[in-house]
Amino acid sequence: MSSKKLTEGDLIKDGKRLDGRGFEDLRPLKITAGVLKQAVGSALVEWGRNKAYAAVYGPHEVFPKHLTDTRKARINARYIMAPFSGLEEHSRSGPNRRSIEISKVAKHVFENVVLTHLFPKTMIDVHMEVVQSDGGTRIASITAASVALADAGIPMRDLVCGVSVGKVAGHMVLDPDKYEDNLGSSDIPMIFAPRNGEVLLYQMDGMLSKDEVRTAMEMAFSASKKIRALQEQALKKKYLEVFERIKTNENVPSAEPSEVQQG
Amino acid sequence: MENLIVPGQIVSEKPQRAEGVYVENGKTYSAVMGLTHDERLVPLKGPYFPKGGDYIIGLVKESGFYGWMLDLHSPFEGKISSRDTRETFEIGDVVSAKVLSVDEVGEALLMQPRRFWGGEVMEIEPTKVPRVVGRNASMIALIKQHANCDVFVGQNGRIYLKGGNTALAAIAILKICNEAHVSGLTDRMALFLQSGGKE
Repeated sequence: MSSKKLTEGDLIKDGKRLDGRGFEDLRPLKITAGVLKQAVGSALVEWGRNKAYAAVYGPHEVFPKHLTDTRKARINARYIMAPFSGLEEHSRSGPNRRSIEISKVAKHVFENVVLTHLFPKTMIDVHMEVVQSDGGTRIASITAASVALADAGIPMRDLVCGVSVGKVAGHMVLDPDKYEDNLGSSDIPMIFAPRNGEVLLYQMDGMLSKDEVRTAMEMAFSASKKIRALQEQALKKKYLEVFERIKTNENVPSAEPSEVQQG
Repeated sequence: MENLIVPGQIVSEKPQRAEGVYVENGKTYSAVMGLTHDERLVPLKGPYFPKGGDYIIGLVKESGFYGWMLDLHSPFEGKISSRDTRETFEIGDVVSAKVLSVDEVGEALLMQPRRFWGGEVMEIEPTKVPRVVGRNASMIALIKQHANCDVFVGQNGRIYLKGGNTALAAIAILKICNEAHVSGLTDRMALFLQSGGKE
């Protein structure tokens, strides 16, 4: 199937989407915490065909120094798409107009959840790298960055996560992929703090009625609770593995201590 | 491990003032990953906040007319005033000192600086320091006994080792950090050190 001939009408057939999902289904999502050795905290999110790494460094001395805030930590968010990440031709590497905008909105998300007042005169680096993209990379990156921040032990009010909702051929669909995002009539990426339901990011593209927006927010918020559960699992995994290993060793009536005494 | 929690989970229905938590609408929530015991949060990971009375191990990173700035393995720096000591330091020196006070931007004023000669320095998570020290310094005594070396633990997560079997001490400390959240740590460490570091 050539993607050039694809139209909005082709995206939904018999109440199913192109990849076989229903309207309220997420793509398969896998979150791994602590994937990078050098970073203080890190995470990898594999969300459908998206792959986004997040790394957190700091809090450390501010650079450049004149940006120092004596009352709170400065958050330096950086969203970058790798030049090979898309289906299109290789683009130039480095930040462009779009990624600078996403870095800015991501920065505002984290400024609202991280307890920055605890770290005056410092800076927290949050780097988000998209190595493979298929629509919805900004929410995948921010979801990863939130896990990375928690992995780094940086105090924050809540884990943040989110999902986009799109309008495709008259239907509201959760978590649109690249084709639904490009050909659909509208989409809204949203980021929530699921504990108290705060909306931290909301960027609507296209036109939606008031009722459609209401449905979209409800769909996204209930999905964000599922994503949060996965974030929790990813963060706890490292500690639970050590716990399980020790407990299973203890339950086995081990011959090790007596062997040591003999030796 | 039901008491393992992540940021944003409830710690207590009452407000608390502690590290790693925040208060909203009169309730206390966790701000970092940690373990809860009796409505108290013990953080698993996080940076070191200098506190008055702490003994720390710093690295001299800057010298000026006022004295010396120390890296404390923390977002915050430490300062030794040249008025408070007759010693002089070079950049790169490893120094132990006591935190006298902390100012409003988190910078620590240090007293009683003492330079270390020789030996090795290792860095661990500052949140694991209480487990490495143990109750009444029991864990440190255990390590000293088996590894036969000098151990000085700074509250900022830097540990100075000198003489004896420093390799065994270092492995033991890393094992403590890795398993600090599982109960029965002292018994496991006693077994581990008796066997000479063999698992």
